[in-house]
Amino acid sequence: MQFELNEDQALLRSSTRELLEKEAPLAEMRAVMEESAEGYSKAFFQQLGELGYPGLLLDEAQGGLGPIAYAVVLAEMGRVAFPGPFLDLAVAARTLAACDGEDAKSWADRTAGGESLVVLARAEDLGSADPAAPAATCSGGKVNGTKVFVPFGAHADALLVETVEGLALVERPGAGWNAQPLTTIDHAQRFASITLDDPGTLVADSAKSSALLADATRLGALGAAAEMFGLMERALEIAVGYTSERQAFGAPLGSFQALQHRAADMLLKAESTRSAAFRAAWAEECDPAEAPYLVSVAKAWAGPAGRFVCGQAIQLLGGVGFTWEYDPHIYLKRIKTLETFHGSTRWHTENALRLSPVLDT
Amino acid sequence: MDLRFTEEQLAFQKDVRAWIEQNLDRPFTAYVKDPAYDADALVEVRREWQRKLNDAGYLGMQWASEWGGRGATEVEEAILHAELVHADTPQVPNFLGISLLGPALIHHGNEEQRKRFIPKMLSGEEIWCQGFSEPSAGSDLAGLRTRAEPDGDDFRIHGQKVWTTFGPWSDWIFVLARTDMEDRYGGITFFLMPIDQPGVDMRGLKQITGESEFGEVFFDGALAKREHIVGQLGEGWRIAMTVLGYERGAATLRSPAEYELQLQGLVSGLGDRGDLEREDVREKLGRLVVENEVMRGNGLRTLANMAGGIAPGPESSIEKIFWSEYHQHMTDTAVELLGPQGQLAARAPNARPDVDWAYQYLWSRAGTIYSGSSEVQRNIIAKRVLRMPTAR
Repeated sequence: MQFELNEDQALLRSSTRELLEKEAPLAEMRAVMEESAEGYSKAFFQQLGELGYPGLLLDEAQGGLGPIAYAVVLAEMGRVAFPGPFLDLAVAARTLAACDGEDAKSWADRTAGGESLVVLARAEDLGSADPAAPAATCSGGKVNGTKVFVPFGAHADALLVETVEGLALVERPGAGWNAQPLTTIDHAQRFASITLDDPGTLVADSAKSSALLADATRLGALGAAAEMFGLMERALEIAVGYTSERQAFGAPLGSFQALQHRAADMLLKAESTRSAAFRAAWAEECDPAEAPYLVSVAKAWAGPAGRFVCGQAIQLLGGVGFTWEYDPHIYLKRIKTLETFHGSTRWHTENALRLSPVLDT
Repeated sequence: MDLRFTEEQLAFQKDVRAWIEQNLDRPFTAYVKDPAYDADALVEVRREWQRKLNDAGYLGMQWASEWGGRGATEVEEAILHAELVHADTPQVPNFLGISLLGPALIHHGNEEQRKRFIPKMLSGEEIWCQGFSEPSAGSDLAGLRTRAEPDGDDFRIHGQKVWTTFGPWSDWIFVLARTDMEDRYGGITFFLMPIDQPGVDMRGLKQITGESEFGEVFFDGALAKREHIVGQLGEGWRIAMTVLGYERGAATLRSPAEYELQLQGLVSGLGDRGDLEREDVREKLGRLVVENEVMRGNGLRTLANMAGGIAPGPESSIEKIFWSEYHQHMTDTAVELLGPQGQLAARAPNARPDVDWAYQYLWSRAGTIYSGSSEVQRNIIAKRVLRMPTAR
């Protein structure tokens, strides 16, 4: 048995951390999030593409490194609250690679290489982004319907649209998407509502599409759980660092037991998320039969745990924690979005229950 | 990463399951619910089970063979304990002796002490209890005041110990007593004492569960022999603190296995009531399942680290807080979901057959207090893991 990462994975972790700290520190990325049109650094995504990052979930022969490596990278991105569609790209590249037709394959290559932005367009209900039967259609070479919460959809080069008939590939029309921005609390994501009445090609029939989308939900949830771990780990560091320095009542704030016990609870939640997320990643790689259950466990746990940790990070910083200038709110907002998407806490809790050994007997 | 058991470990697990199948007459809960078994009779059931485990070589497994063990690994011991609790087998009456005193003797005792005490500890002929806590020294254990006064070569013990688990059925007690009243840590010595002697008054102490599983013991000049000191004079604190860290591997998978069994009992109770499809019930039940599985993940991580030679550090406080607070949350929820039936006494005619919910509900309150309260564990995390500043 071994929980710690192997040498290659540990190397990936340290090189990714170094890369992100150098090229995408939060201080710089905040300007990108707040001021750029796209909400993320296209130049840095190109660099990530050249290094092969968006292709992490592809088969090994295509340059993939597997689910554990994917979790390692997303945990690092969580630490810096990295903005952009990285998780969505990784899942889309993998989904495209498994779709039918040369078109899909070539979009997969370009997505994995960071040249194109392709994301899945699934949700249609503003009140729930959980997996649900779609109303959008693909017939007569045309895709019709309205998709909501499409991540970075306004800037996508193509969408992989869930329809009644299966997965349809829709390229950006010459006039651009019929998109409305859906601005949420999360600085690091830019969602759009997109109404489609555009030419599209079916790249997976409905049976194949169900299987691919189940994989996409699971891998999205795994990535989100790992990313939430990174967010929690860093938010706790920020809170412990601040309270160790800040003086009040003639002593460092962090010497007071009320704050110490809160921080201890934050560590418990964050480290338990690490255990759960990496156990799920390991199952995805080495014990696929257990993966659906363990991924749902990790995702169902990570959302509430993350809200606690990042909410308490704001609390421990006190008044400055509520200012725009300090970082903890970025972490809480990311957590809240990640909790809502890739299967909500409620959806994964039910899924975990359904698959659990407790109901098996 | 690799969280799988090896082929050998899986084979061991299979052996354990088969052995339990062959040797367990009925789950321990069935004995508890049987009016033919009073408290003493239940102890005998547990003693008999200990004998069987010992004959099969399942006690003190990590110890060398000369001390009755088989030089097993943490992983095997963890597997054994998970299987034992998941099958609702009786807890061995000598669990404190085996998990705490055994390692103390092996690591800090001398040859005569090991020969004299270990075989009878394992066989259950001599039951041990732990004399650490005092009325004014619980979480602040080093504040203990029980004193050992020299009497020739030996010592006379004066003072009181309390919350002495299994005290009323014990033959021997391992005691921390002061051989120096001033030196807070260096003045504590680790003594082994027979309970059946003048100057020892062991009384049952009724718990919130209604039983008297623990006791309080008064020492008034009881004899503690020099040859029964473990380690040197004044080494008691160091020994006590280190033994608490031994054999932690055994516990890593036990709680989630035990609570999974209880969750299965909850599912069966909810199924009988036709409540299993209720959305509000499923949400609560699902939450319990998720948290229990996260706890198992923490345990697997600790176990995997131990197997790789990484000793569990202060982060084991996370596991202590997790299982003890989880059990409270779980039994709270179970008793709520099962309604009044969940509060029925074990032997009430219509109590749930598989889990003694009323007992579990109350018993769960102990977990956050004993063996380092949740508050002490949080202090440890803040200071030793997070390195937060110390108050002046």
